[in-house]
Amino acid sequence: MEIVEAAGINVALVAGRCAGADFARLLEADLRIAGDGATFSAGGVADPVACAVRLTRLLGEAAAKELLLADRTADAANALRLGLVTRVVPGSALGETARDVAERLRALPPLALSAVRDAVRAARALTPGDALALEHEHFRRLIATQDHKAAVAAFFARREPAFTGQ
Amino acid sequence: MTGSNAHTRWWADGAVGVIVLDNPPMNVLSDDNRRGIREALAEFRGAGTRAVVLTGAGDRAFCGGADLKEEEELTTETVGKFLQRGDETFRALREYERPIVAAVNGWAMGGGLVLALWCDVRVGSTRAKLGAVGVKVGLMASNVQLSRLLFEGRARDLLLTGRTVEADEAHRLGLLSSVVAPERLMDEAMAWARDIAIRPPDLVAALKQALNTALDPIAEPAPR
Amino acid sequence: MSHPAPAVTVHAAVDGAIGTLTLDAPPLNLLSDALRAALLEALDEFKARRLRAVIVRSGGRAFCAGADLRDEVKLTPEQVQAFLDADEAVFSALAGFPGATLAAVDGYAYGGGFELALACDIRVAGRAARFAGVGVKLGLTVSTARLARVAGEGVALDLLLTGRVVEAHEAHVLGLVSSVTDDVDTEARRLADVVASRAPLSVQANKAGLRHCARLPLAEAVAYERGEWARLQRTGDHKEAVKAFFAKRPPVFTGE
Repeated sequence: MEIVEAAGINVALVAGRCAGADFARLLEADLRIAGDGATFSAGGVADPVACAVRLTRLLGEAAAKELLLADRTADAANALRLGLVTRVVPGSALGETARDVAERLRALPPLALSAVRDAVRAARALTPGDALALEHEHFRRLIATQDHKAAVAAFFARREPAFTGQ
Repeated sequence: MTGSNAHTRWWADGAVGVIVLDNPPMNVLSDDNRRGIREALAEFRGAGTRAVVLTGAGDRAFCGGADLKEEEELTTETVGKFLQRGDETFRALREYERPIVAAVNGWAMGGGLVLALWCDVRVGSTRAKLGAVGVKVGLMASNVQLSRLLFEGRARDLLLTGRTVEADEAHRLGLLSSVVAPERLMDEAMAWARDIAIRPPDLVAALKQALNTALDPIAEPAPR
Repeated sequence: MSHPAPAVTVHAAVDGAIGTLTLDAPPLNLLSDALRAALLEALDEFKARRLRAVIVRSGGRAFCAGADLRDEVKLTPEQVQAFLDADEAVFSALAGFPGATLAAVDGYAYGGGFELALACDIRVAGRAARFAGVGVKLGLTVSTARLARVAGEGVALDLLLTGRVVEAHEAHVLGLVSSVTDDVDTEARRLADVVASRAPLSVQANKAGLRHCARLPLAEAVAYERGEWARLQRTGDHKEAVKAFFAKRPPVFTGE
């Protein structure tokens, strides 16, 4: 497994076996993409209890129990079904997919990327109303940024925007 | 070790305990079932059982849920006791230290679905049919379980429509971990249970505990 | 040059206990003030008529492509929250509708249009459905709260960090929609009929329960659900369900 960082976003790319420490790192990544030959096993993680908690919050209780209690290995199709990864591509296309995703992330406004990540990750511990209030708080801050104005100007001029992180 | 009552049978098969709801065809949830499950788990606990398989007798139903006749006769005075008996059984499954594998051999609807959802892992035969039928009978059940087991998009669909989910869809949604032919179901459930039973028991108990409580709100740090 | 007559932006139709809202502001069904007002007004009327299911659909190539950027650029900082609240009024009217709300998506559901679909209880897709959380491309945060609840943190991060377009089949795999069919209107109607045949108080209780129990500890959530069970067990509709069961006929629910 490889973790690629682009614009502050961590993208996990799983080509082969992902187990133990790799499995724990996978759960911390922002985006998780697998090649079709990937396999996943929580066996050997350093802190199984912490992994159980993280996995349940990430996947819901059914998928977390399926993955952890019997310590079975999941293939790429099952990993997608259970939400452990959100994209599966042919193994041979994993490198190209990684480059595409990294390029896409680098072309996006950095302040919005980190705000989206924070808001989504915070949502799990918040009531629906509080999660929405947090989203709106970010929105009100971001709508005043130069990057938002640049995005709107580029949209009307039908050109690609250039963002500065301001 | 074996035990039984009028509607329930249980025995140990090596490190795996097996409980069968045995009042076919629908295995409608009776007091004997509720008591049988609790007694069996207490005996398994004493015998050091490391995993449990729960299934229904016959090929029509895992468990058809509450007995509507029994339920119809409930009064304001008796309804509390009725709910409490159900909850004690569900809590016994949830709080049993070892994982419980439901072998869903047919219908799991209403209270029968709740029973299956309180188990830790569910495997199904191709005959498995799941129904969150609260909205069909004017009640509310399995809302709490489904919204923790699944994300809300899927839980909401099942709860508001009360529709029947066949085995393959249940697998796709994550409600069944595998689907096999009816004659292979017990082997499949036992294989899951044995995979669990060979693991270090303290680790498995700690995992079940963590998995059960992970979605409870994170305690706020005490004010300083 | 005379002013054009105000365009009808939403067609509201009622058939039995089912209301249908057809967005008709081509080509993109942008969430304009007029569209929002029309949706709110129709939902109010549907609620007053005690409809049991509402379908939100569009006849064109867009389900709804979100906010109109021409409106959005004019906002002063003081107006931003009011702008968010105006959208949210529509989304919460759908989420809080006493019956079930269904989004029948067979075109673009982008940005605020994606959020509109997420605010519905159930989403069904046609082959041409396309979903995208495009807020990030404009440097904004949109759908983080709802998408994380509907489909989980992993899916929400993927879609909202990249702004990528998800087609119908993938939307199904990721849990964004319940089904993909060739004829989304027929499928939406079929499901609406199913929900409309269910006990209305139970449908309401389940919707309210999902919201109320979202962040409760398990024991409290179970106690709440049991309280609702006991309340519903005393209703006429439940008695009717039991009678119908023993008489082997379909129940007739009145919502009482």
